[in-house]
Amino acid sequence: MSSLLQVEHVSKIFGGLKAVEDVSLHVEEGELVALIGPNGAGKTTLFNALTGVSPATEGTVTFNGVSLDKKKPYQVAKMGIARTFQNIRLFHQLSVRENLQAAMTHRYKEDFVSSILRLPTFTKKEALVNGWTDEILAKLDLSAVGDTITANLPYGTQRRVEIARAVASDPKLIFLDEPAAGMNPEETADLTALIRRLQSEFGLTVVLIEHDMSLVMNLAERIYVLEHGKLIAEGTPAEIQNNDAVITAYLGGGVHA
Amino acid sequence: MTKKKLQANSLWLLVMIIGFVVINLLVYVGVIDSFIENMLVTIGINIILATGLNLIIGFSGQFSLGHAGFMAIGAYATGIILQTVPTVGGFIGSIIVGIVIAIIAAIIVGVPTLRLSGDYLAIATMGAAEIIRVVINNMKITNGAAGLFNIPQFATWPVVYALVCVTTIVIVNFAHSRAGRAIQAIRDDEIAAEAVGVNPTKWKLAAFVLGAATAAIGGSLHASYIQTIAPSDFGIMNSIALLIIVVLGGVGSMTGTFLAAIVLGVLDTVLQSFGTLRMVIYAVALIVIMVFKPSGLLGRYEFSFARVLNRHKKEDAA
Ligand SMILES: Nc1ncnc2c1ncn2[C@@H]1O[C@H](COP(=O)(O)OP(=O)(O)OP(=O)(O)O)[C@@H](O)[C@H]1O
Ligand SMILES: [Mg+2]
Repeated sequence: MSSLLQVEHVSKIFGGLKAVEDVSLHVEEGELVALIGPNGAGKTTLFNALTGVSPATEGTVTFNGVSLDKKKPYQVAKMGIARTFQNIRLFHQLSVRENLQAAMTHRYKEDFVSSILRLPTFTKKEALVNGWTDEILAKLDLSAVGDTITANLPYGTQRRVEIARAVASDPKLIFLDEPAAGMNPEETADLTALIRRLQSEFGLTVVLIEHDMSLVMNLAERIYVLEHGKLIAEGTPAEIQNNDAVITAYLGGGVHA
Repeated sequence: MTKKKLQANSLWLLVMIIGFVVINLLVYVGVIDSFIENMLVTIGINIILATGLNLIIGFSGQFSLGHAGFMAIGAYATGIILQTVPTVGGFIGSIIVGIVIAIIAAIIVGVPTLRLSGDYLAIATMGAAEIIRVVINNMKITNGAAGLFNIPQFATWPVVYALVCVTTIVIVNFAHSRAGRAIQAIRDDEIAAEAVGVNPTKWKLAAFVLGAATAAIGGSLHASYIQTIAPSDFGIMNSIALLIIVVLGGVGSMTGTFLAAIVLGVLDTVLQSFGTLRMVIYAVALIVIMVFKPSGLLGRYEFSFARVLNRHKKEDAA
């Protein structure tokens, strides 16, 4: 059996800087995997390489048996990989509903003529899209803010909307880049529950970058540790907590559950 | 939900018909003389041109300064064809020819330039429009710098009115569909839009091409209404005049574009008796509006019958 995501010998070089160096990893279908490491370790760079935002200098990536090399970001998204960003990137002038619906454009066809003339086929498609939207809003507890312009939402809600938007693109795999950053403990607890539901209820495979160690140790089934662009450890939360290399990387043992 | 939309659409249709009947009546009883009719037609053509530009700038976020170039294509298609085929059929055919050539030109211009952003795109589109103008200036069939005269007049005000309705329906419905959501997503954050499966090149080009096609329609109407066209009618200042309508009304608000086209059209007509002072007053009016309302007259507000109906429903219930 091959993995859902197979990363082989991926490197990313910026000028003289090896931000990611010879990283090989795999993610199985339905898994919840965390990617951790100190600031500047190359975690976001690796996400960008895997999603085509900033392609890898070397190495190959296979998703669901298909090579992602040379695929553009929108093609990667259509194949079933969604992501959130370390610095929230919402469509800030659009409402929450519109943000989700902008992520659904590849899930249905709507031809020019029927949308201009508002033909029944158009109305039917819009009803379908509205149905999907209502369902995601309800499941992610966002129904009350559906018509709110996202720029006017509190920070924690914006993070939730970004996850909802990723779900709206109907992915198999979702990359979350520091979803808990800037959240208070209560919001982090809600987020932890939500990420767990992404896996159990939505059937998604989740790869998570996070600095909040209690969240990581709580959620992740398997953890990869990146330092200076290289993978230095892989294992279960228990294994990682007792890994000498990891403890050294985090300056003499800052890793507590 | 669907029933309310149907109601709202019927109301819009009613407004269009009433507007037509009322203006017709006023022409008939003589309240609207040829002077005012001229103003109305100019406003109508400006609405067609500026709504298309607002689609490109306000909805897809592409700062284009080349709208007059696409207008020129439509104008010359109509001018040239009407001189050999001076019939209604020739007029309709010329509009279609103008649209097709404008679409081809928009694709040729758009594919390389829409990768650029902001100021760079503005300069590139400005250059493209200038190339179109220079080409027209140097061709035999367009009669060079002298331009075309005595173009038969088929663009009477009912024709202009009907085409204002048609192009507005096309643009507004485009903006409120799958395509509209895609282009607005790209406008707000191109990287995020790509990450959710939106192909930026494709959708930016779609908006650009649609805007160019409506500009060609505006150009055709202009040619067959004014009856005289010259390359100098389609320079950078004409693109900027359209940009002013969009910015003044509110970037991203089609209602605002209507309002601004009407306000500026009336202002322009009223000020004609002021002679040279006219441009000064016009400019001061613009500055005052932009100082006190930097986001334009309406910001991003859109008038919507559906919303009015909704509010009514709520008040009834209360
Ligand atoms: N576009 C770029 N050009 C040049 N260097 C870059 C670029 N993007 C990232 N880097 C560098 O690559 C290294 C890895 O950065 P990256 O953002 O991937 O780290 P990270 O693990 O996500 O860190 P953090 O936890 O702070 O988000 C850093 O040294 C960074 O300065
Ligand atoms: Mg990062």
